[in-house]
This record gives sequence, C-alpha cells and structure tokens, in this order.
Amino acid sequence: MINVLFFASLREQLGCEGLQAEASGITDIAGLRTSLAAKGSEWQAALASDQLQVALNQKLSSMEAAVKDGDEVAFFPPVTGG
Amino acid sequence: MPLEISISVQAEGFDPGVEYRLLRSENYVDGATAMFVGNVRDFSPAESGEQQSVAVLELEHYPGMAESALTDIARQAAQRWPLGRVRIVHRYGPLSAGDEIVFVGATSAHRQAALDACAFIMDFLKSRAPFWKKEFAKGAEKGDWVQARNSDEEALKKW
Repeated sequence: MINVLFFASLREQLGCEGLQAEASGITDIAGLRTSLAAKGSEWQAALASDQLQVALNQKLSSMEAAVKDGDEVAFFPPVTGG
Repeated sequence: MPLEISISVQAEGFDPGVEYRLLRSENYVDGATAMFVGNVRDFSPAESGEQQSVAVLELEHYPGMAESALTDIARQAAQRWPLGRVRIVHRYGPLSAGDEIVFVGATSAHRQAALDACAFIMDFLKSRAPFWKKEFAKGAEKGDWVQARNSDEEALKKW
C-alpha cells in the first residue's frame, strides 16, 4: 500500500487527510495522481491544479518520481510558511 | 566552533532573548550573530484592492517533513557559509496578531556570512518548508488560505 496524505486547502477540498492506496499497477506519482482523480469529480478537480506539489517520503519530489509499496506520498498546494 | 544545527517545530511560543543566549552560550569564536523573527500581522495585504483585517493566523504543517526540510535548509546554508550555530524555530497552530511565528539565528566568525545565512534560510523556508497559513478575520469561523506569491519563488534565484 502507498500511504497518501493531503494538506491545507487540498485536504479541505477533498474532505480527506489521507488514505491507503493500492500500490499494484502504480509506477510513478503521476499514475497515483491519475488513479486518485478517478475517485470522483471533486478529486479530479482538486488534483488537476498545475500548482499541485508533491513530497515522496517527506522530501519534495516531482510527478515523474517512481513509487512503490510502503512509500509515503503527500500532495499539497504551494507552501506559505515563514 | 563545530557546526551545531538545532530545529524546533512547535505550537508553543518562543522567547527571542532566550534563543539569542543559546546561540551565544560558551561561544567565544563566532564574533557575529544574526537573527530574524517573523511576526503575525493584523492585516492581509491584498494584491488587488483593500486590506483585510486578520485576528487569527492558523498554521498547518506536515509533521516530520517540516523538521527534515528545515534541517536540510540549515545544512545547505552551512555548506555555503562558515557557520557555528544555526537555530530555526517555526510554530504551528492558531496564532494572534503580534505573535512570533518563526525564528532564524546563525553565528559565524564573519558578519556577512551570518546575515546572508539568515536571509538564505528564510528565502528557502518560505518556498520549500511544508507550512500553510490560513487567515481568519475577527469572529470569522471560515478562514482564507494564504496564496503563495511568485515573488517568494523569485527570491530563490538570487542564491
């Protein structure tokens, strides 16, 4: 399974802090994003943003990065700390 | 002195005076200490139109990654400048106008290194550390997420 997390406005849009996604058939983050977007129109709209950022195992990553069983993938909007 | 990096991500407030003394304690080789403190404003500077008043600023963070991202940024700064102690404190949770949000401190033998390291850390923290701000007007139940600014991403290019 892939541990998927959502933060900030994305978490609110989806009404979901996180979920476990089946890893089989998923090779990269883009593929995970596509499978999540298929969960419904809300998901499709929220995950379509070209501003969407992603972290793989708590490091900023790119949509092209490979994912495997046991990974943690977080999606979130651009950060605004400081 | 050998590099010492200290990172705290916490809900509690912090005392910049205490942080300064920790940066200086038994540190007799670094003649320069630079510090930055970020505080909550009571308004939101709307890019178009009027300012909105802000009573509460709520900070969300990604536990675990927040600490490791700040550590990574501090290490990058220490690779670029000869630093002694580096301290970063970032708060999360609900904060009121005037409250401290973030502290960055660096010591060095050289003032320019300490000053540049603080500026570098703040620039990267703003665009790379997983924190998100939500602003609430007085009495409002529904807040507004602060939008990232292009100028923050632009600021990284000078490094």
